[in-house]
Amino acid sequence: MRGIITYMKRDFLKWTRGKVAVISALVMPAAWLVFVGLALPVKFTGNYLDFITPGILVMTMLSAGLSGGALLMFDKILGFLNKFLALPTPRGSILVGKILFITGRGLVQTTIILVIALLIGATLLSPVQYALTYLVLFLFGVLISAFATTIALYLDDHDSYSAFNTMISLPLFFTSSALMPYGVMPAWLATIAHFNPLSFAIDSVRDVTAGGFPTLPILVLLVLTSVVLAVCVQVFRRVTV
Amino acid sequence: MNAIETTNLTKYYDSLCAVDHLTLSVNNEIFALLGPNGSGKTTSVLMLTTLLNPNEGSAMVCGHDITREGEEVRKKLSYVPQDMAVDIKLTGRENVRFFADLYGVPHAGDRVDEVLAVMELNDRADDLIRTYSGGMRRRLELAQALVHEPSVLFLDEPTIGLDVAARKKIWEHIQALRKKGMTIFVTTHYMDEADQFCDRVGIISKGRIAALGTPVELKARLMKDVITARIEGTFIPPAVDGVSFVGQSGDEVSFTAENGREALPLLADALGKSGCSVRALSLREPTLDDVFLQAVGQQEEPHGFEDGKFRIMLRRRK
Repeated sequence: MRGIITYMKRDFLKWTRGKVAVISALVMPAAWLVFVGLALPVKFTGNYLDFITPGILVMTMLSAGLSGGALLMFDKILGFLNKFLALPTPRGSILVGKILFITGRGLVQTTIILVIALLIGATLLSPVQYALTYLVLFLFGVLISAFATTIALYLDDHDSYSAFNTMISLPLFFTSSALMPYGVMPAWLATIAHFNPLSFAIDSVRDVTAGGFPTLPILVLLVLTSVVLAVCVQVFRRVTV
Repeated sequence: MNAIETTNLTKYYDSLCAVDHLTLSVNNEIFALLGPNGSGKTTSVLMLTTLLNPNEGSAMVCGHDITREGEEVRKKLSYVPQDMAVDIKLTGRENVRFFADLYGVPHAGDRVDEVLAVMELNDRADDLIRTYSGGMRRRLELAQALVHEPSVLFLDEPTIGLDVAARKKIWEHIQALRKKGMTIFVTTHYMDEADQFCDRVGIISKGRIAALGTPVELKARLMKDVITARIEGTFIPPAVDGVSFVGQSGDEVSFTAENGREALPLLADALGKSGCSVRALSLREPTLDDVFLQAVGQQEEPHGFEDGKFRIMLRRRK
């Protein structure tokens, strides 16, 4: 436990020292929120901002997770990982600390996006609804950061990883239920969207904001997260011994 | 109990044998594993620091088996890899504190101040590493490694890429640690440094130890000192213990000696007494480079010089 917290503390300190990275990570989701959320003329809902906010929150988490995937790979390439592996601290805490840091950083970013959404006119929710939203975002964050870390460790090369990152982030976002409900989508897109893991997270948050409790999507997210985590642990073990 | 004890330690990368039945004992000394690039130095260190599992053989660090008791082994050692890995966005103090926390060092704050002072970094402790020189970064890594008072310290090429003054400083620190009773296992390919600062040297080539001993022993064992004297007058070979006459060409006579430095004045006296006057004396001591080339070169001889290939190469150049 001590190890996990110490590894997270290191990453948070490093993150806050890079001012440009902190701000630039927020620009894209904020731009979506303002320029699309406020401007797009849609007919299926009266408050498009309320509709798109869950999508943008999940998208923020997605890009935070994907960009964080490279962190452990960099620790490996730059020689930090070898130093950490030679410590008596349990080796698993390196991986857990990294995944929790990426998820935690994503949660900080989504909080800022949430505040911006409220400032420009999104509906205020109850504390329970926010707690559930954070639970969904946390699960999704662990899923994405474990997935991204696995891919990055597997590719073991920064250029390949950033190419992979660019390749999947926008298609994943556009084929989810972030921008429109399934009813408005063309049939082929709706089919894809139903299988997109982003949709599970987005639909869960929407369900929460509508006052429901999304049992099934949360269960699906839980199962997905456990599977990806298990694969991630395997890949980590393989590169470390 | 020796700090490091290996028995037939072997590692294969596919069909390549990187470390070939390495058997070594190291205890409270500065031990250097000396070898060319790709000779198996780093692989040996990775196995001893539990970062790599051996294919055959075993090794004990402070009495703990490296494959079965990894965590116990890691409690006893510190490892500074070749690539300088310090967080440049953090301060020196934060970098060391991070390691102190990972080790769970009691009174971490005081201990961090202490090691920073030992490494002469306390006046720059709160500056970002970005502003540190290469030598300071290396010393900071040593501070990180020392924070939990390890019994064995593994240093992989500790002076690579540093200037002469920084290198000397690093070695002074390493020697001070050795005096405090620490066992230090270094890999390097700088012969002069191994010769000057290490207690014992193992020359490794293609995964095998080619020569093992103190630098003095190795030099004495493999090659005698060569003494050349320029004389005037009639020469009668003098009888000096440990010196043997090799030959004369013109006014130059040469000898070999077990220990040239000590033989030099004795020889000069003896020559003077025998009736000739000595104009000049020169002594060439074998260096660790000679030892190294002899030890490693022997293995490369079978390849020989391929006359045919050389001619083809010359033709292509035109």
